[in-house]
Amino acid sequence: MRREFGTLAGLLVLCVVLWFATPHFLTTANLLNVVEQSTLIGIIAVGMTFVILTAGIDLSVGSIVALSGVAMGTAFRAGLPVFAAALTGLAVGLACGLANGALITLGRLPPFIATLGMMSIARGGALMLSDGRPISGYPATFREMATGDVMGVPAPVLLMLAIYGVAHFVLTRTTLGRYTYAIGGNEEAAELSGIGVRAYKSAVYGIAGLLSAVTALLLVARLDSAQPIAGIMYELDAIAAVVIGGTSLLGGSGSVIGTLIGALIMGVLRNGLNLLGVSSYLQQVAIGGVIIVAVLMDMTLRRRARLPTE
Amino acid sequence: MSVKRVRWVAVFVAGLSWACNRGDGAGDAPSVALVLKTLNSPFFIELEAGARQAADSLGIELVVQAPDREIDVERQMQIIENLLQTGIDVLTLTPSGSREIVSAIAEANQAGVPVVIVDTRADAQALAEAEATIATFIGSDNVDGGRIAGRFVAEALGGQGRVAVVEGIPGHETGDSRLRGFREVIAEHPGISIVASQTANWERDQAFNVTQNMLQSHSDLQAIFAANDMMALGAVEAIAAAGRTGDVLVVGFDALDEARQAIREGRMAATIAQHPRDMGRLAIESAWSILQGDTVPAEQPVGIELVTE
Repeated sequence: MRREFGTLAGLLVLCVVLWFATPHFLTTANLLNVVEQSTLIGIIAVGMTFVILTAGIDLSVGSIVALSGVAMGTAFRAGLPVFAAALTGLAVGLACGLANGALITLGRLPPFIATLGMMSIARGGALMLSDGRPISGYPATFREMATGDVMGVPAPVLLMLAIYGVAHFVLTRTTLGRYTYAIGGNEEAAELSGIGVRAYKSAVYGIAGLLSAVTALLLVARLDSAQPIAGIMYELDAIAAVVIGGTSLLGGSGSVIGTLIGALIMGVLRNGLNLLGVSSYLQQVAIGGVIIVAVLMDMTLRRRARLPTE
Repeated sequence: MSVKRVRWVAVFVAGLSWACNRGDGAGDAPSVALVLKTLNSPFFIELEAGARQAADSLGIELVVQAPDREIDVERQMQIIENLLQTGIDVLTLTPSGSREIVSAIAEANQAGVPVVIVDTRADAQALAEAEATIATFIGSDNVDGGRIAGRFVAEALGGQGRVAVVEGIPGHETGDSRLRGFREVIAEHPGISIVASQTANWERDQAFNVTQNMLQSHSDLQAIFAANDMMALGAVEAIAAAGRTGDVLVVGFDALDEARQAIREGRMAATIAQHPRDMGRLAIESAWSILQGDTVPAEQPVGIELVTE
């Protein structure tokens, strides 16, 4: 838990600096904005945390967002009720994730290669299925998922917090969580001690695919449109959130709490740069800089604590 | 040790906030936001330049922001939400998605911020459904631009020949309108057929590949229409790589300096000139009029013309 305090302190300092820098930052409306804007990457980053904890990587999440969204749109246009269409989208995301898992565990492909392939397959699939065109026009009841709120708190924020709550519970209190860390810490040892590494690893990629699909539904609800070009580069934002949050790319150490803070740091930074009217070019430099500084600090910390470094 | 990380982040952000020229709460100058599709294409950089010039001469404080990627409508919506928090007086906007952007326009409406749409239309039906309103639309008639390109190609080929199309991102109103106008005119010439039509997502390197493939499968291709100049230039390079410069005439859209240069050198046949600088200027002038309480026309067309030299 101590490690998250460093990340949390970073977030708080960022907030304090922005509070001084602009009067528009510390308002309820703006803070809700920031958290809501962090939900898409935030939810994907939960799945990415699981994957990275096993010392893997998932480059296909952004494309799975597009494919799941388009699958939902196609199902809806074909006449399915909207919630059945949404389930179709979730099923497609889960299937893509499990396919990643199978390629990695049964096919023995490195995760980088398997998910790189899936990234292209899912993107192409989304373009084929939609004929390259966005599929729009969904009922208001479905769009509530993104536009609704409960006592002023936007629905996507509640959904994200619930997902983080469940993920934290799974990682800290369940067999799946313990084995996720064990596989990332030392896969061979995990296998020798009788853990069904293949099944658990596949499950982890399945979770990443499923959460990409959840993000896809949120995005469709928000834009009222399923776009085959949605989610491009989301994988990199999600990896950045995980890494800023202190999870080791070597696997075996990290937490979703850190990832949540990491996702919020990215969201606050983007929001603050907009509020300050910083040039769009400089913004990209700034975000890259923060990622590097955060990881640099983390590595220094680990070296001094004699923990393995990335 | 976490103190050290904290210190680093603090130094970085403090430096950043010092480095940027912020003006919130600085005075009474009206503040206008210009949210573009992207700032990495010459068309939008020109548009920004026109807007900046007008803002400077009118004493308007102008904030310009754009997503990293042209297609990222979700990010564009976030930028608009963030800017609405800063109390901007008018929002000028080139939508990254005609339909998707509507909920952001509705948010601006709720905040009492008038919206000026530039270059790409917001979907009229979606606007009506969301009960969202815009103050004015400033832009060229892209359908007409497509027709001009179509007439040029038809005439150059003498009403006979095989033509290919390089499309922009599917579902983008500007690109779709250009192609609609082009196809409309070509359909009036039974001797001309469109043998291939593929997207290169507005990008030069993708257009290079797409054109290379088209030249492979259609060796008798006589003309290519690309929905913007970046893609037209990619096509020009692919044709040159195949050693067929001069055989296949290329028509683009936007009249970028580089395209004009290619036309002068005979590598490209024609392009359609829009006037992004005028669009930027008109956007800011309209914002100014709205702030003065004057009415602005619902539609403000910006001229469009053929460039062949």
